[in-house]
Amino acid sequence: MQCRRVLGILILGMTIASAGDVTGKVAFAGTPPKGSPLQMTADPVCKKAHTKPVTGEDVVVNKNGTLRNVIVYVKSGLKGSFTAPKDKLVFDQMGCLYTPHVLSLMVGQELEVRNSDATLHNVHSLSKANPQFNNAQPMKGMKMTKTFAKEETFKVKCEVHPWMGAYIGVFNHPYHAVTGDDGSFTIKGLPAGEYTIEAWHEKYGTKTATVKVDASGKATVDFSYKS
Amino acid sequence: MTSYFDKRTQTPVETRKYVHFYVAFSGLLFLGTVWSLWDEVVSRRPWKDYQTEYNDLLAAKYDSLALDAQASVDSAAVSQATEAVASARAALSAEEYVTTNERKTDLLEELEIATREWRFARSRSDAAYYQYKKDLAEGKDATSSKAELDGHDADIAKWFESRNNLEREIAGFDLILEKYTTAVQKAEVELRALLGAVAGYQAKAEKQRQSPIAIHQVVKNDYEFTPFQEVKARVDRCQTCHLGWREELMTDAPQPHSKHPAPELLAQHNPETFGCTPCHRGQGPALTPGFAHGDEDHYWETPLLRGNDVYASCNGCHYNETRLKFAKPYVKAKQVVIESGCYGCHEIKGFSDLPKIGPPLYSITAKATPEWIYRWVRNPRDYSPHTRMPNFRFSDEQAEAVTAYLVSASRTSEFTLERPRGSYAGGSPSEGKRLFEAVGCQACHVTAGFTTVRDVRGTSYDIAPELSRVGSKVNADWLFDWLKNPRHYNADSRMPSLRLSDQEARNVVAYVMTMKDERALDKFSVALDDPDRIARGDKLIREYGCAGCHLIKGMENEGKVSVELSDFGRKKAEQMDFGDTKPIQAHGEQEYLANDDGTVSVQHTWRGWIYGKLKNARLFQTERIAQKMPVFEFSDEEIKLVRMFLISMTRDIPLPAHQRAYDKRFQDIEGGRRVSMRYNCQQCHILEDEGGYVLAKYEEAALGPPPIPETQGAKVQEQWLHAFFKNPTTIRPWLKIRMPTFQFNEEEIGKLQKYFLGMAHQDMVIRDYASVQPETDYLRPGRQLFDTYQCAKCHPSGPVSGEGAADLAPNLAMASSRLKPEWISGWLLDPQRLQPGTRMPQFFFDGQGPDESVLNGDANEQIRALQTYVWSLGRRSGTPIADR
Ligand SMILES: [Cu+2]
Repeated sequence: MQCRRVLGILILGMTIASAGDVTGKVAFAGTPPKGSPLQMTADPVCKKAHTKPVTGEDVVVNKNGTLRNVIVYVKSGLKGSFTAPKDKLVFDQMGCLYTPHVLSLMVGQELEVRNSDATLHNVHSLSKANPQFNNAQPMKGMKMTKTFAKEETFKVKCEVHPWMGAYIGVFNHPYHAVTGDDGSFTIKGLPAGEYTIEAWHEKYGTKTATVKVDASGKATVDFSYKS
Repeated sequence: MTSYFDKRTQTPVETRKYVHFYVAFSGLLFLGTVWSLWDEVVSRRPWKDYQTEYNDLLAAKYDSLALDAQASVDSAAVSQATEAVASARAALSAEEYVTTNERKTDLLEELEIATREWRFARSRSDAAYYQYKKDLAEGKDATSSKAELDGHDADIAKWFESRNNLEREIAGFDLILEKYTTAVQKAEVELRALLGAVAGYQAKAEKQRQSPIAIHQVVKNDYEFTPFQEVKARVDRCQTCHLGWREELMTDAPQPHSKHPAPELLAQHNPETFGCTPCHRGQGPALTPGFAHGDEDHYWETPLLRGNDVYASCNGCHYNETRLKFAKPYVKAKQVVIESGCYGCHEIKGFSDLPKIGPPLYSITAKATPEWIYRWVRNPRDYSPHTRMPNFRFSDEQAEAVTAYLVSASRTSEFTLERPRGSYAGGSPSEGKRLFEAVGCQACHVTAGFTTVRDVRGTSYDIAPELSRVGSKVNADWLFDWLKNPRHYNADSRMPSLRLSDQEARNVVAYVMTMKDERALDKFSVALDDPDRIARGDKLIREYGCAGCHLIKGMENEGKVSVELSDFGRKKAEQMDFGDTKPIQAHGEQEYLANDDGTVSVQHTWRGWIYGKLKNARLFQTERIAQKMPVFEFSDEEIKLVRMFLISMTRDIPLPAHQRAYDKRFQDIEGGRRVSMRYNCQQCHILEDEGGYVLAKYEEAALGPPPIPETQGAKVQEQWLHAFFKNPTTIRPWLKIRMPTFQFNEEEIGKLQKYFLGMAHQDMVIRDYASVQPETDYLRPGRQLFDTYQCAKCHPSGPVSGEGAADLAPNLAMASSRLKPEWISGWLLDPQRLQPGTRMPQFFFDGQGPDESVLNGDANEQIRALQTYVWSLGRRSGTPIADR
């Protein structure tokens, strides 16, 4: 009995000690598709916001040959339930573009949707598991807060500016990340165990890999997409 | 050897003993009594066990809820509160409390004495007073009695004073004591609040365990008629065993304890008053499963309906209705029956006014060749594997005769093309293909490359002809004529006009004619104009009832060739002929078995017969008994649906008091439904939560045909809708699919109008919308908001031209002649609610508009202003638009 208790405490101690980070890069092979320039002539406010021509963000290949805007997340292997982080994420409409173009958050986590443009935008979620919303923000500086109850990745678009589109990934757990301008990602604080990690890109779809996070608390996974 | 009885007969009657018989029979009687008691109390009362089991199950659920609640309680807070209670209670033994309490007890005793003495003094005073007055009245000396009276009065004052003092002192002690007791109470209340949920569940569990074992029954007097037209009551005791029918906690419990799976239906048919057997059938008063469910009682005519079959009961009251919101299988079953045209040959209650489902055959040679007709008659699914036309399994010779009749009847037709032959020439197939895919042909017609609509609909048959081989069926001249005006060839056609220009129609013809049947055709080599052959065809067509579905020359008034189905559900297996099929004994999953020796097994029951018949209409045919019903190719699911529908075909109807009144509103709605069903509106539009099959083609719902919400009737003006049905105009320029011109007649338009109005709970009223004036006061703020909210970013409000126009929202210049003003307000408040998926965003939240500087930011006021301004746009007369 005594032994068992000691063992239990030991195991508990080990699992807490061995939470680790999964890091990696999403590489891109082949010639990146040439992004088509966005025609913003329909709305003068949008046009004025940019001095240089703007290209679509559906495929952004970084200078180091990596792919931006890929959501990397734990697909399976997690146990138990998780509480949503307290910090609010910001989803801005600026220069008639969504920033960020792809974001990921947890079920129940707050998302602040802002309009930083002096023009009408509407945020229309094409969600399936979560109820659709389509809210207008006609004035500069408007804000609203959204939360999502179900896990899914969906598109968000603006009906006024057909080129505006973004993707939001909602997850049941906090273990997800989006690749930035160096194509790398870090999933922090993952308990020791074996996981299936999935990468998702709006155009190129999904890739999966398995990873073992052990007592050392570090693991690396790399993904690669082709044009 | 002489037996006991022989010996006995030799004994004289007077001396014979009967004691053995008495003992034996009384022993039997005793055993019989014991047995019947046992049977009565134990073995025939399974429901008692069920109730005990139910109570235990539910109590266990409450217990586990209590445990859960306990687990979620903050244990630190609980132990703190428990300690607080303990210490508050401990304080009750503190010196101050104890001595105060003791002194209070002493004082209370003293108070009691003082009160008693005070009361005695008062009585003595009363007596002395009487003596004093008496002395005075009798003229005696009253000095001594006066002195006595005064003495008593002094006593009263003394005791009264002492009572007051004591009471005051006690109140002082009470204050001290209360300090201690309230502390205890407060601590206890706090503890109870922490454990509140736990205690609540524990109490519920306890109550459930104590719950009495009793029969629960529902008595419905005057429920239905007996076959002799006498009013009959119904008694249902189902809820005696099915106790958990409304208990949320029993959702996943095993039968008979589980919760009813369709609470939305119970909201309409309350089991407490309506009972269970009106829908589920079975033997209401019985209390053992075998008898209650009726499957162990061979002579019970209405055994329990299991699975989807229970929906058959809807028909008892709702036989007039084709769509019931909470009875999807029933709706689907009726849809299959209607779309398969069963009513063409069979009389079916509630289906008497439906049109024939097949096309008229008056001028068929203008469209197809005799060779094609012959092949079609012989086996329709050979040309079109998903056609609704069943296979009559005609022999070659029979098919030739039928073809001969149809061709000869068609030769006398007066049909001529509207344009000279060859007018179709000069189309571009590629352009035609683009048009074919864009304007909406694919909403109804399947082609080899596009079967989405069929897949989404999920039926084994198509609702419009598949066009994959149509180039080998029709001729181009006819097709051109047909596309330009379908009603020219068939005055009742459901095929709408797509308003194609001549060149567009030529392009579509060019494309459609490329879809050919590459297989070699079966030919025939007999003369079609042989009068004998034509006469034989005439006879065959009448015998097989072709006129049930098609208009055929000379046979317009043929009756229905087969049996009436209105009471078919009452038929017995004993009345059915199972031909040469073998019986499947196991009554279970296996419905139909094709044996290795070429024979077929079905269950020799009513259900088995129907399954076999619908699977293969000629299944029960024998050498002696010929059958004429053609062979349908229903899927297993469809067979079961149609069978469920046939179960519903009985004349058992509850008395009107137990039915929902089929009032004018429902009649209006149903009338429109049938029009919408005839024209397949649901292929494109979501209507009553069903349909929109073509939407699967679009990436986003807003790019396909819009849904028709329940509020449609409240949305558009009747005059406008009438004009739109007559001649559809473009409302949503971004849609490539076109609302076709269905060439509805006035009656059909009226029915559709009433349908939409009925769903929106509105009546048809003639209202002069042109005279509805915008509210002048609201025009200016309305215009200001219209600008701030940038409505014009999407909505034009005047003539439009140039690039980008195709991506615009409805032109608001149409609003005042198209929309009802009240609807505009509702739409502005929450567009997604009225039309899920719409591109129109919501501007108002929590009673506030985005711009707080106008009309105090009040949503209702701002909406009123915007509505006013929108209403003023495009009005030719009336108040001028606020100056620009
Ligand atoms: Cu926008």
